[in-house]
Amino acid sequence: MGGSEARGWLPRRFYSVDAGLIGLASGVRRPLTGVWRLTPGVYRQASDMDVLQVVISGLLLGGVYALFAAGLNTIFGVMRVINLGHGELMMLGAYTTYYLYAEGGLNPLLTIPIAAAAMFGAGLVMQRFLVERVIGQPLLSSLLLTFGLSTLLQGLALNRFTADFRSVPYLSGSIDLFGLALSRSRLVAFGIALAVTGVTYYFLRSSRFGKAIRATSQQADVAQVCGIDVRRVRLATFALGAALAAIAGSLVAMIFSISPEMGRMFLGKAFAIIVLGGLGSFVGAFLGALMLGVAETLAAYFTTTQLAEGVPYAVLVLVLTLRPSGFFGVRE
Amino acid sequence: MKSRNADSVRQLTAEVMAGKLSRREILQRAAAVGLSVPLAAALLGAGAAGAQEATPSGTPTAPPPSGPPIKIGASVSTTGSNGRTGLYQQEAFRLWEAQKNASGGLLGRPVQFIIYDDQSDPTTGARLYERLLNEDKVDLVLGPYSSSVTQAVAQVTERAPLPLLAAGASASDIWKRNYRYVFGVYSIAEDYFKSILLDIAPAQGYKTAAIIYEDTLFPTATAQGAIAHCETAGIQVVVNEKYPAKATDVSSVLTKVRDANPDMLIGGSYLPDAVLITRQSKELGVNPKLFAFSVGAAQPDFAEALGADANYVLGPSMWEPEIDTAGNQAFVEAYRAMFPGREPDYHSATGYSAAQVLEAAVTAAGSLDREAIREQLLSLQMETVLPGKYQVNEQGQMIGHIPLTIQWQNLARVIVAPEQFAAGDLILPTPPWNQRG
Amino acid sequence: MSAGGDIARTRVAPPRAPSGVVEETLPAVGREDAADPGMPSGATQTVKPLPAWERHLPKVYVVLLALAVLGLAFFPSVANDYSVTLALTVLLTVCLASSWNIISGFSGYVSFGHAGFFGIGAYTGALLIYHDTVPWILAVLAAGVGTALVALLIGYPTLRLRGPYFAITMLGLSELARIVVTAWDSLTFGGSGVYLPILYERSERLTNYYAMLILAVLVVLVSYTVGTSAFGLRLLAIRDDEGAAQAMGVNTTGHKIAAFTLSSFFPGAAGAIYARHNGYIDPPTFFAVIWSIRAISTSILGGQGTILGPIIGAVVLTLVSEQVWALDPNAYQIIFGALIVLVVLFMPGGLIALGQRWGWLLRSRRL
Repeated sequence: MGGSEARGWLPRRFYSVDAGLIGLASGVRRPLTGVWRLTPGVYRQASDMDVLQVVISGLLLGGVYALFAAGLNTIFGVMRVINLGHGELMMLGAYTTYYLYAEGGLNPLLTIPIAAAAMFGAGLVMQRFLVERVIGQPLLSSLLLTFGLSTLLQGLALNRFTADFRSVPYLSGSIDLFGLALSRSRLVAFGIALAVTGVTYYFLRSSRFGKAIRATSQQADVAQVCGIDVRRVRLATFALGAALAAIAGSLVAMIFSISPEMGRMFLGKAFAIIVLGGLGSFVGAFLGALMLGVAETLAAYFTTTQLAEGVPYAVLVLVLTLRPSGFFGVRE
Repeated sequence: MKSRNADSVRQLTAEVMAGKLSRREILQRAAAVGLSVPLAAALLGAGAAGAQEATPSGTPTAPPPSGPPIKIGASVSTTGSNGRTGLYQQEAFRLWEAQKNASGGLLGRPVQFIIYDDQSDPTTGARLYERLLNEDKVDLVLGPYSSSVTQAVAQVTERAPLPLLAAGASASDIWKRNYRYVFGVYSIAEDYFKSILLDIAPAQGYKTAAIIYEDTLFPTATAQGAIAHCETAGIQVVVNEKYPAKATDVSSVLTKVRDANPDMLIGGSYLPDAVLITRQSKELGVNPKLFAFSVGAAQPDFAEALGADANYVLGPSMWEPEIDTAGNQAFVEAYRAMFPGREPDYHSATGYSAAQVLEAAVTAAGSLDREAIREQLLSLQMETVLPGKYQVNEQGQMIGHIPLTIQWQNLARVIVAPEQFAAGDLILPTPPWNQRG
Repeated sequence: MSAGGDIARTRVAPPRAPSGVVEETLPAVGREDAADPGMPSGATQTVKPLPAWERHLPKVYVVLLALAVLGLAFFPSVANDYSVTLALTVLLTVCLASSWNIISGFSGYVSFGHAGFFGIGAYTGALLIYHDTVPWILAVLAAGVGTALVALLIGYPTLRLRGPYFAITMLGLSELARIVVTAWDSLTFGGSGVYLPILYERSERLTNYYAMLILAVLVVLVSYTVGTSAFGLRLLAIRDDEGAAQAMGVNTTGHKIAAFTLSSFFPGAAGAIYARHNGYIDPPTFFAVIWSIRAISTSILGGQGTILGPIIGAVVLTLVSEQVWALDPNAYQIIFGALIVLVVLFMPGGLIALGQRWGWLLRSRRL
C-alpha cells in the first residue's frame, strides 16, 4: 500500500479513529486484536500488547502532568487566578536541577527538594509583591500580570541560560514487566509525582492550614468571616503551587530536553486537566491528568502523533462546552 | 600588545553580540581596532591566511582597509525556537568580519556586519531585511537561519533585488520558485539522507525503513527526500508519520515502529526530538539496525544529552571540524580563539562558507554591482571550508557540496561517508538495546 | 433608548479603579465626562443619558484622526519600503487591538482567540490568492467573512461560558485551528507553508498598505459606532453585571455573539492582507499565540474599552518595540514582560487614563 493513498485521507483517517475507539470499547469484553489502526497508507492490526504498552506510557506521562496541574489548580481554586507563569516556575525548577547536577555534581533526585524550596521562596515573593495586588480585580488583570511575569522570566532565562537545550541524562532505559517496557525515568518521576501529590492531598485534607486553604477555595468571604487569614492562605497557596511546579520541572528535566521556552507547552495540557478534573478538585485533577496522558498516547497510536497534539485542546473545548463543571468537579 | 589587540577584537565582538553598543559606537570601536590591523592580522593570522588560500582576495600583508565600510546585513535567530543553532551562524559571520578587517578588508574597504535577531519568526525576518535594505542601506546581505525564515526573507531580497546567499537554509522549495537572486550554500534538505539510503542501506542489505518527522518546513523536506530515496533504492517505508513541533512524547509512534520492526529508523528532526526519539527507543526496546536523524545527531549536544546511548546513531553533517578542506583547520582554530568555550558546529561552517563565497563573488565582480555579483555567484566554482565545492545550478540551488555522514562511535563523531572524507568504518548493525554495555 | 440602555445607566463599575478620578475637577467638556464607562472608575456611579452632541468624539479628535489618516494615505510617497511595512504593522496592530476591544473591552469576555482568527483569515486569503480563484481584494473580504462565520459557529457554545472558562476555551480553539491547518496538508500544504507570488512592483505592494489602512479606519469607525450605540451600552452592561443585564431583558447571548462575530471579521481580513504582504505563511507563525497577546496587550496599554486606546497602544507598542528590538533582542522580551506587569499594576486604565489624569487628553466620555 503506497503512501500516495494517504491523499484525501481525512474521512478515512477519521473512520479508522472510530474503528479504533469502538474496538477499544468492545475490548473490555473481548481481546483487542480486532482493532485496526493506521499510519498513512498502512493498515495493520494492533496487538493487545501494544495497546497496553501505549496505555502505560500514557499513565506514566500523566503522573508528571498531574504534579504540574495540581499547583495550577490549587492556585486557581483559592484565588481564581489563572497563573500563566506557571510554566516558567516549572522551567526554573528544571534549570535548578540541571545546574545542581551539571555543575554541582548532585544526584538529580537530591536536587528536587532544593528546587522545590527555591521556588517556594520565589512563589512567596511573587505572590506578596505582585499577584496579591490583582486579587479581586477583573480576570484580565491577573491573566495579563501572570503573562507578563511569564514573558519576563522567560526572557531572563534566555539571557542567563541561553536557548541551548539541556538534559540530565539520568536513569535511561526501562524495566521489563511481562514484556511491557516501563521507562525507568518516567517510572521514578511517576512515583515521586504520586508521592508528592499524595502528601499534598493529605496536607490539604488534614492539616489546619490545609483546611483553611480548602475553605478559602470554596468560599473566600465566608472563610474570612470565620477568622481565616485569607491573605496568608493565598501566600501559602501560591508558594505551594510554585513548589509543586518546580518538582514537576525537576522531574521533566530527567525525562526531556529542557529549554527556557519549555513552560508554555505544558500550560495547555494543564488547562485541559483542570477542566477535565474539575476546578479545585484535587483528586479530580489527578485522575484528569492520567486520563489526558492516556488519551494523548492512545490518540497518537490510533491516528498520528501530529493529530494527538490536539487532544488536550479538544478535551478542553468539549468538556467546557458540554459539561462546564468538569467530570469530577462541583458546579460553581 | 598582541594579545591586547586580539582581546579588543574579541571584546568588541562580544559586546556587539551582546547588543551593548549602538551602531555608532560599533563603528568607532571597529575603527579603533582596525587601526592596529597588522598586529590583529598576525594574531588572527592563522585563520585569515588559511582562509585566503582558498579565496582570491587580498593577502595577509595587504594594507589596512580604508574608506567607508562595506555594510553587510543579516538577521539570525539567536532567540526563539532556533536560537541555539542561529548563534553558530552569527559567530561565523563575526569571525569572518574580524578576519577581513584584520587582513585588508573587502575591495580594500573594511566590512561591517549589521546583525539583527528575528526570533525565529519569518514575518519578523522579512521586516528586518527591509530595515537592513532601506534604513541601514546595507551593500550586501547574507541569509538568515532556518528555511522558514529564508522563505519570507527571499521575497524581500528578490524584489530589491539583492543576491542572497542562503547561509542557513536548505529546503529545496526555496529554489523551486524561480528566484533569480537566491543561492544555496549547502546541500538541499531532500538530500540529507541520500548517502545513508542510497549507499549505506543497500550495502548493508537493509530493506525497510520507518520515517518519522516533525511537521514543519525543513524536517518535512528531509523526510520527503528520504521517502523518494527509499523508492529509488527499493526500500519499503513501513511507518511514515509526522509529529508536532516540541513534541514531548513519541512513545506511541515508536510502539508502531517497534511493531513494524524496520531495518532503519529515520528521523526528520531537530536536536530535542532526536534526543527524545533515541531515549524512548531505548525505553521501549525499539531495535532497528540503523538510527539516523537529520539535525541533532551531528550536534555535540547530542552525546551530552544521551551519554553512551548516542553511540551507533548516524546523521548527515554538512561539515565536520577535522575535515581537510581549504583553510578548515585555520577556521576552526580562529573560531575557538575568538569564542572561547565554543566549539564550531556545522552551522558555523555554513555561515562562514557563505561569507567566503560572497567575498569571492564581490572580489571577482570588482564592485558592489548587484547584477555583477549575481553573475559571479551563478558561475563561480570555488572551494570553501565546506566539503565539496561551491557550485550552483541555474536556479541557484547548490549542487557542488558533498554532505558528510557521521556516526557516533565511543562518544565521538566519526565521519563514515563519503569515502574521501571517511575517518573510520561504519559499525553496523546497531546492537539491540539490551545487548549494549 | 431601549431597555438595555436603561440598565447601563446604573452600573457597578469594576472595583479596581484609581479612586479620585471621580472627584477630580471636571474639565470644560462636560460634567458627565467624569463618569467614563470606558475606564475602570471608582465606586458605583450613575451614567446619565448622554446628550446627543456628547456621544460623538470631540471635534478636535475627529480632526486629529482625519489628519492622521490623511497623513498615512500620503505616507508611502515620502517613506521607504521598511517604513511602509512598519506603518502597515502598526495598522495591523490597530485592527487586532480595536477588534479585540469590541468583544473583550466592551463585553468583558476576554478572548484569546484572535490568533486563531488571524490564522484562519491568513490561510483563507492566502489559499484563494494562491489558486488564483478570485481577485485578491475579494480573497481578503472572503477571509474576513469566512472568519466571521467561524466565529458565529463557535460563538453560541463558547459564549455561554463565563470568565476564565471562555478565555481558555478560546485559547484551546485557537490552538486546535493551528493543529487542523497543519495536519490538513492536502488543502493547506501543512507545515511547509503557502507561497504567494512576489509583488515586484512597489505600487502592487502598496495596495496591501492601503487595504490595511482602510481596514483600520473601518475597525475604528465600527468600534466607535458600537461604543456610542445602545448596542454598545448593553455590551457594557453585560461586562458589569451579566445577570442583571439579562434580568432586565437584554438578549445577552445574542449581543455577545453579534459582538464576537463582528470582532472576528477584522483579524480575519487583516490576516489575509498580512499574508499577501509577507508572501509566505506557515502555521506556527500565523497561528502563534503572540497575535492574541499583541491584541490584548496593545488594548491594555492604550486603555481597554475605549476607542482611542487601542490606536495609541498600537502606535506606541509597535514603534517602541521595534527600537528596543534592534537594540537588544534578549532585552526585548524582558522589557516587554516587565512593561505588561507595570501597566497592570500601576496603569490599569492604560495610556488614555494616564493622559486624562495628567490633563493631556480631554476627559471625553468616548475616547
